[in-house]
Amino acid sequence: MLEKLSENVLDKVSIDYLRNQVLKNAYGNDDTPIARLDPRVLLIWYLFFGLVPWFLGDVVTLLGMFIFCAATTRLARVAPLVLFVFALGVFSQTGYLLIVSILFSGSIDALIPLLVMTLKVTTCSLASITVFSGLDPDRLSNGLLWFGCPERLSFSISFAYRILPIMFEELQNILLSFRMRGRAPAHETLGGKVHWLVYQVKTIIQSFYPLMLNMAKRSRTTVEALELKGYRYASTNAAVLKIKLGSLAIGRNDILFIALSVVWALGCFALPHVLEVLV
Amino acid sequence: MSTSTTSAAQAHKLMVFVLSMSLYGLATLVSELIPSVQVGIVEFSVEFFLFIPLTLAMLFDPLSVALGAATGELVFSEIMLGQFGGLGELEKFLTVAIAVYVAGKLVPDPRDIKRVGIAAFGATALQLAMSAAVDIIKVVVAVEEFEAVPGLPESVYFTEGFAFLNDLLFSGVLFCLLPTLFLAPRLYGKIEPLLGIKPRTPEDVADAASPRLALGAVVCFVLAVLAACVSKAGFSLIEWEAEWAESTGALVTGLAVAVVIAVIAAWCLHRNATISRA
Amino acid sequence: MAIVSINDLTFTYPGAENPTLLHLDLEVEEGDFLAIMGANGCGKSTLCKAMNGIIPQFIAGDISGTLMVSGLDASQTPLGELAQHVGYVYQDFENQLVRPTVLDEASFASLNYAQPDYLARGMRALELVGLANKAESYVWALSGGQKHLLALAGALALEPEVIILDEPIAQLDPYHARQTYEVLRELNENHGKTIIVIEHHTDFIADYCKHAVLMNAGAVSWKLPAREALRQLDDLRASDIYPPEIALAARELKDTGVLDSGATLPTTVAEGVQAFAGLGFTPQPCPARPVRADVPAAVEFRGVSVSYRSVKGAPRQVFDGFDLAIHEGEKVALVGSNGAGKTTLMKLMCGLVKPQGGEVLLKGVSTRGRGAEEISDAISLVYQNPEQMFIKDSVRADVSFAMRARGRVDADEHAHELVERFRLTRLADRDGRLMSGGQMRRASLAIGIALDPPILLLDEPTANLDIATRREIVRTIADLRGVTDTVVIATHDMQLVCQFADRVIVLNQGRVIGDGAPEEIFHDEEVVRASGICPPEIYAMGAALDCRASCFDIEDFLMSFDAYRALAHAATGEAADVPVADVSVAETRTADAPSAGVPAANAPSAACEKEVA
Repeated sequence: MLEKLSENVLDKVSIDYLRNQVLKNAYGNDDTPIARLDPRVLLIWYLFFGLVPWFLGDVVTLLGMFIFCAATTRLARVAPLVLFVFALGVFSQTGYLLIVSILFSGSIDALIPLLVMTLKVTTCSLASITVFSGLDPDRLSNGLLWFGCPERLSFSISFAYRILPIMFEELQNILLSFRMRGRAPAHETLGGKVHWLVYQVKTIIQSFYPLMLNMAKRSRTTVEALELKGYRYASTNAAVLKIKLGSLAIGRNDILFIALSVVWALGCFALPHVLEVLV
Repeated sequence: MSTSTTSAAQAHKLMVFVLSMSLYGLATLVSELIPSVQVGIVEFSVEFFLFIPLTLAMLFDPLSVALGAATGELVFSEIMLGQFGGLGELEKFLTVAIAVYVAGKLVPDPRDIKRVGIAAFGATALQLAMSAAVDIIKVVVAVEEFEAVPGLPESVYFTEGFAFLNDLLFSGVLFCLLPTLFLAPRLYGKIEPLLGIKPRTPEDVADAASPRLALGAVVCFVLAVLAACVSKAGFSLIEWEAEWAESTGALVTGLAVAVVIAVIAAWCLHRNATISRA
Repeated sequence: MAIVSINDLTFTYPGAENPTLLHLDLEVEEGDFLAIMGANGCGKSTLCKAMNGIIPQFIAGDISGTLMVSGLDASQTPLGELAQHVGYVYQDFENQLVRPTVLDEASFASLNYAQPDYLARGMRALELVGLANKAESYVWALSGGQKHLLALAGALALEPEVIILDEPIAQLDPYHARQTYEVLRELNENHGKTIIVIEHHTDFIADYCKHAVLMNAGAVSWKLPAREALRQLDDLRASDIYPPEIALAARELKDTGVLDSGATLPTTVAEGVQAFAGLGFTPQPCPARPVRADVPAAVEFRGVSVSYRSVKGAPRQVFDGFDLAIHEGEKVALVGSNGAGKTTLMKLMCGLVKPQGGEVLLKGVSTRGRGAEEISDAISLVYQNPEQMFIKDSVRADVSFAMRARGRVDADEHAHELVERFRLTRLADRDGRLMSGGQMRRASLAIGIALDPPILLLDEPTANLDIATRREIVRTIADLRGVTDTVVIATHDMQLVCQFADRVIVLNQGRVIGDGAPEEIFHDEEVVRASGICPPEIYAMGAALDCRASCFDIEDFLMSFDAYRALAHAATGEAADVPVADVSVAETRTADAPSAGVPAANAPSAACEKEVA
């Protein structure tokens, strides 16, 4: 178990790969049809597709909604790693429930509700991935701002996308320092592997000591620059908000997207009854 | 001079917020991408990197660190990766913020290893206890006949209790207590000059155990529970009663849609009014 | 009319014992292009932050005296209002950029001040700095030079009359440095902006600035027209600023009577051509450099291909079928503009990047299948950014870390020796990050050679340092010649190249376009143009007088003057009879500019014809 973990997680998934995937997810898909939609439309869309499936029990309806969300996720061109993490999450959620249900109620009937469960979790997660990974960070933060989210949050989102590459590079170089100057224990035997895993985890924790100091040095300039650029002044100024939100506009694509979503959703709700009539 | 000192103080808070947000954000992003370890039914659901905000909270203004860390997690690992779970995230946001804030308030001198240890361990326990409690309350509220479902209460209490202990004793010690003990005294006096802030003196945390703090924590916790319940209403274990879902599914959907539409319409009107007035 | 006027300004940081600025008076005329020079810690940055109100409104402290900018009192006017009159670009400009995309960043300030045409203003600022075609790019995708211009655009968007830049070119390669200054000149001459730079690159001050100020201990020593200022050789040296080499050489020639004592000291190549006209100038042959073809290769690249995953679209190919051999004992300088592949080449040698095709051989053994830990016994890399090498909480612990990890019993003693050797004993228990730039650099070198690696790689060892510190580091690196066998330095610093390297490898877009001794490279116009390298000033001066000349330092340059050479030879000839004098001459030769030991005599007439370039 630990062997496999150490091999797979820490050997193959290098920090470089993580960095690339995260950047890809953050910046690589700003020209998709999803990214160009009005953020307000997408957020409302998310409210529906991220919430309503929880209340549904019909497999056919859920399946229809799942297909729709899967299609939008495909359109949003989400990075493979994010999808992998998502798949793993879904699996571990239902896998966990499966074991509990068999252990404590001992019946196989629970499997059907579990399929429904899986579909619910999957559909809602896909809706969330579509909206939050697919949207351009700045448009997303403007959308959230329109819905009255605190300005600090919307700034944090854009800033996070700015600082992420810098931090990844910093972390990567520090970890490389540890790798080049340190000496990882041999990991041929099982004991060695455990040792090695412990060493790696220790290294990651220790690398936060230099990282914290280096980032502290940087954030001083950042905050001074923010002050000069009038950030603090703007956060309480309604006129700034008005200008910012003035860039939001609902276009033809948005209306098309809404119409398609409504038709599809209605279709999903109608499908079980249609099937009933047919059968 | 008074204006300049308040603006300097606000600047320091913003710096600490930015620092805490980016560091903890990056850490949670990395840990989100490392698939969680699951042994049998027990998931190691600990916040592997909680030591980062804990350490920072002991060195700087605890409130800014707490808010920064919670925001960082929300932005980097939830929004950026699209793993946003809706209102349920508010639960994590608040429990992390409370735990970090309390830890920061408990340490007058970061060089005092004993206090640092107690605060770090206590805060981890607090965070885990709060999330376990939220989980249990969630199930109790969601399943109407909680006691009537055979095996359910036992299974819930057992898994939650086990997870709590396991997390606290294993990950809490390894990932929260030890790193904080390592980092806090080492960073003290080194990281502050880089930000242009004076190192902490005991006066900075004078109002440690004030009733306001306790009250605030309780209110936040209740909010967290409410948020979690609302978000998970109808979720997961409700399936133990499949019939309930079938009979009311359509009704609930209709209600939900109606409420959402009403709220959005009201909001649009209100928003347009405020913005055009500006 | 004075746009900045400072009267009796004194400022003390909270907790500091002595004031950083002390009774400072300064007037800056509208439309000036002013350089502020001074030693580290003389208060240059503090002064500039006082001009934009950050001090005392954001960084509290005790302040007295007045500081008026555009008729506004900088200590009272709200920062927001002041920012519309004074723009500021930080030395660590990368941290100044807070938005994800370029246009966003440029228009952010205008947006915050609720200017409805904020996008147009941002766009205008981008046009001014020449980044208009990058408006939609992400900030992280820009090069260092472009990021600097973007920081400038961000400050310009509010259309301030005054722009302050803190060491604008410290982090840029020579090509981008010149590009930045061209933009500044354009802003100054055609858009009427007053520009204030903290700068100690005298060649840039001579070429671009109108006036220069020398600061000393928190006060202004003098303010003079730029060229005039650069002739104050003694004042500059006292403040750790290295005066133009051409001026130093000219003064030496004056002192020895070779040059007319009434002549003004030249500060640029153009002035030098006039000043030295008519003096006999014969290029001297370069000292023979060791040929190392028969020595085994320390590092060998065979058909190496590397590409990086890119965020969008196809992977970026850095190397394709790359071949190169570096022999044992060679001192190699790796030059070329940013993005040419220098850093990747170094990472390949350390095993941090694995080639997709071909192989890298270290002493004949492939790096394939060997971990970076293993390779690090044979090769050591010193990063460009020393902060990323400090992973422990004290310099001493950092130096001994690698030795301890390898279980060396004498780790502590050896660390102690190294700390002493790099003059860090007093600082050894402090965290590296809290030291000055030069100290950090020395510490990182100590860490790099802790394991006595047979191959040492240095990535930009002199970047980001002021001139005095840079010279110190160049000396330290020169000392390493005896210690480590094979050394490879990636650098933009041609002074370092001249003083250190036997072999220069010029990279351009992943290919070697030049490979040879420094003088061969500098003489190859094709290579110089394609790679954007600029030879040191004194080399350019020599080449301007005679295109065959290769003067790597002032000494080489002076010795090319027939009259000076005759004097020097006469001196050594005398010295041969008197052993005591020999020492003084030998010392003179190692100093940067000889000033004694050569008897004054009348200049003999030019011995050979000077070629007109």
